[in-house]
Amino acid sequence: MSASRRVALMITCLADMFYPEVGERIVRLLRRLGVAVTLPAGQTCCGLPLFNSGYHAEAATVASRAVGLFADAEAIVVPSGSCAWMVKHEYPGLLKDSPEAAAARRVADRTYEFSQYLVRGLGLTEFETDTAPGRVAYHDSCHLLRGLHESESPRTLLRNLPGVEVVDLPGSDECCGFGGSFSVRLPEVSTAILDRKLANVEAAGAACVVACDAGCLMQMKGRLGRRGSPVRAMHLAELLARERGGVR
Amino acid sequence: MTTRAEFVARIRGEMAKTPGLFPAAATARPSRPRERLEILRHELIERWPQSLERFRTEFERVAGVFHRVPTAADVPALLERLCHERDARSVVTWGPAALGVDLAPLARANLAVESMPHAAPPPAERQRLRELIAHADLGVTGADLVIAETGTLVLRAAAGRPRSTSLLPPCHVAVFDRAVLVETLEQVGIALEAWHDGPVPDARGAVINFITGPSRTADIELTLTRGVHGPKEVHAVFVDGGLPVTSDE
Amino acid sequence: MSEPLVTTPLRDRAQHALGDRFLHEALDIATTKFIGLRREAFGNFPEGEALRDRARAIKEAALQRLDEHLERLVDNVERLGGHVHFATTAAEARDIILAIARRTGARMAVKSKSMATEEIHLNEALEAAGVTPVETDLGEYIIQLAHERPSHIIAPAIHKTKGQVAELFARELGREVAADPEVLTRIARAELREKFLQADLGITGANFAVAETGTVVLVTNEGNGRMVTSLPRVHVAVMGVEKVVPSMTDLMVFLSVLAKSATGQKLSVYTTLVQGPRRPGELEGPDEFHLVLLDNGRIAQLGGTLREALYCLRCGACLNVCPVYRQIGGHAYGYTYPGPIGILLTAMLNGPRSVKELSHASSLCGACADACPVRIDIPRMLIELRKEVDEQKIAPWPERVAFRALAWLLRHPGLYRAAARIGRAAQRPFVRDGRIPALPSVAGAWTRTRDLPPVAARTFQERWPALEREAR
Repeated sequence: MSASRRVALMITCLADMFYPEVGERIVRLLRRLGVAVTLPAGQTCCGLPLFNSGYHAEAATVASRAVGLFADAEAIVVPSGSCAWMVKHEYPGLLKDSPEAAAARRVADRTYEFSQYLVRGLGLTEFETDTAPGRVAYHDSCHLLRGLHESESPRTLLRNLPGVEVVDLPGSDECCGFGGSFSVRLPEVSTAILDRKLANVEAAGAACVVACDAGCLMQMKGRLGRRGSPVRAMHLAELLARERGGVR
Repeated sequence: MTTRAEFVARIRGEMAKTPGLFPAAATARPSRPRERLEILRHELIERWPQSLERFRTEFERVAGVFHRVPTAADVPALLERLCHERDARSVVTWGPAALGVDLAPLARANLAVESMPHAAPPPAERQRLRELIAHADLGVTGADLVIAETGTLVLRAAAGRPRSTSLLPPCHVAVFDRAVLVETLEQVGIALEAWHDGPVPDARGAVINFITGPSRTADIELTLTRGVHGPKEVHAVFVDGGLPVTSDE
Repeated sequence: MSEPLVTTPLRDRAQHALGDRFLHEALDIATTKFIGLRREAFGNFPEGEALRDRARAIKEAALQRLDEHLERLVDNVERLGGHVHFATTAAEARDIILAIARRTGARMAVKSKSMATEEIHLNEALEAAGVTPVETDLGEYIIQLAHERPSHIIAPAIHKTKGQVAELFARELGREVAADPEVLTRIARAELREKFLQADLGITGANFAVAETGTVVLVTNEGNGRMVTSLPRVHVAVMGVEKVVPSMTDLMVFLSVLAKSATGQKLSVYTTLVQGPRRPGELEGPDEFHLVLLDNGRIAQLGGTLREALYCLRCGACLNVCPVYRQIGGHAYGYTYPGPIGILLTAMLNGPRSVKELSHASSLCGACADACPVRIDIPRMLIELRKEVDEQKIAPWPERVAFRALAWLLRHPGLYRAAARIGRAAQRPFVRDGRIPALPSVAGAWTRTRDLPPVAARTFQERWPALEREAR
């Protein structure tokens, strides 16, 4: 605990392109908490899609660039579990024989997924919401759960939101079927896995499913939208407005 | 055809390419297993009531049927009752030296009791016995170890203690006393090390069987059914008063 | 090369499986049950985590001295009166077993469930040589009647409903049969009992072999493993070389986690320690015991990328938790071993070409690694296989070009930003109500079942200057 209150934001390609409002909420929330946020210019992607498909030499070039952009940051906050995993878990290995090896290790050590930064980094767990999400269920995205061993921070934040009912999601730790390129290589299987996830969300009586990963959200929103479902899929940041009882 | 030398040489060649994924060692073995086993036995005998209680719980959890009798002399009556309940006529048993129980009284109850011979008989007799065992209703054995942690009976095959007695008849009854109770799989490891300790191959038979309840399968829709190929029932009879040490010890 | 390459596209095989209602229901019931049983078993077993670490360490340690352990194993098996054979390929293994069958005049062989014998396609070879193979494990018996291959590592017929099994039995026996598992089991017991007693040859696999004592270990539930190793005159055990464990002390560590991982049982009903042929004075037991040690691609991985896959205990836990396996079942994988570990084993036995598509039959969720009793990092090796498929130019060239182009784009922020602008313009004809319901080509694979979000009117990085001003 006690991470720096000067953070560099790694916005991630999906949030940058498709969910910029999530990024905006995160920046405003962090500023209300007294955290100074910078955005190193010229970000693109962490390289996970290249890495997962086996293009490691290419992933290393992208990683190398990213490390360069974040090398001097005291803390790096990432709104996606899979990207945070890539940086923390794979960057050191990919760059171990390169001039950026030490910088990569440093960057890996200082990177936090968003909910981890709030709870474990800043020690803050009580927030208020300005959204009325209805009954909320939390989906454990795979890289956050199994890669970063994080299942508690998002749940703690949700449970402490006044006026928000959190229901247990059966199979919350089951994959949503995104898997990056998997979602288009085996689209029928990806959709079948997704339908199982959404059936669980519906069975839990949730009006809103919350996740900390843009890939999972794109997958779930895509299907919920296609089926005309009233259930919403939201990023955790969309439910956090300000610290509870705080003036800020 | 690949020879042993070629095979091992290939393995060595591949092994040489890497030190491995991480430093690792096999589990430390007891340096003097037979002594260790003796010491263990003395410790265990102090705790036998708890071990028995745990065994009973685990054994019943896997659908074993537990019985308790005061002395070895009470065993025949129990067996007679079991036979009567099941309309059983034919019983096969381990040889008397292996079993430690005198089953002569059973013969008076109009039951055919065949005790397994100590030495391997000629082929014709082996065939007759095989047929007999295959059609027997009840098989009676002892047990070399009884494991509390898992509800398991450990049986060592040997002369006079054939494998089929606990396998072919639909009902298997194992008779045991406090001396064979062990608590954990780890302790079983010590016994196995001790039994195999020494340059001469173990004088016992070529098979050791761990039996944890009646035969079962869930291969059809994961619905559990019992008595597939092995026995449908397994009974464990604890003799409070103890059994004579069998001649194979 | 153990098996011929499957040529039908994986996507088609998967779609076919997804359309099978019976399969879907069977898989759902079976995998959900297995998951619950395993969770309960380890939930009540606080020592479990430490034992899993220990089991993993023993496997690694055994591989580090595999040559010594195998030599000791062979010496001990021979000392006990058994014979050891060395099979580099599947064909060699088949030849060895057929030679034994021929020499001993076997006409019928009873088999206990063995994935190793499935891997080498033994049954077809036995039949061709005039030896009738009879599968005695209920699940294997069922698929033998159906002329199918196993669809799960430990529950081979789990894809069949009881109605389907009853139909099979009815056809085999020529009479009506109730679709009741109890009835079906009783029928199998009666049918197979005679076979056990008459067979000349018993063939099994082996879960472990203890080097220190020359003991071959079979972990079973039905009793057929015991029958097969005691009643026929000759017993042949087929075993991958990686199954050797150093000592009895080590063996107990594996026994304490194996059944719990597979079915949630503390121990399987029967753990059988076989130590050579019948001893003098024994009433029963084979006259001859043969151990066939199988390479078939394993040895090459000692120094290869799939080394960790050699730790596998064949428990099936990874199959049960795999979101892909749970949807498509085992047959869609197309090879002997299905599921997450199956992809790695397929690559091991048949080379990287065989996993050109299979290496992508995974969302890399990691549930398999979590469930594995020896903590095999399956996702890491799947990524390694994808890398191999790319580097050996097995992946189709348009894909390789596309990913390299992507990498180049991601190294050039100006191009990346331009791509956003181009995307925004190009998407205009496709956007309806704030989402994209249909796109051509690769993206169509997404939009057939899911909407795509449009590229935002202003990306986050485009909004940043305004956000920065807010702070002042």
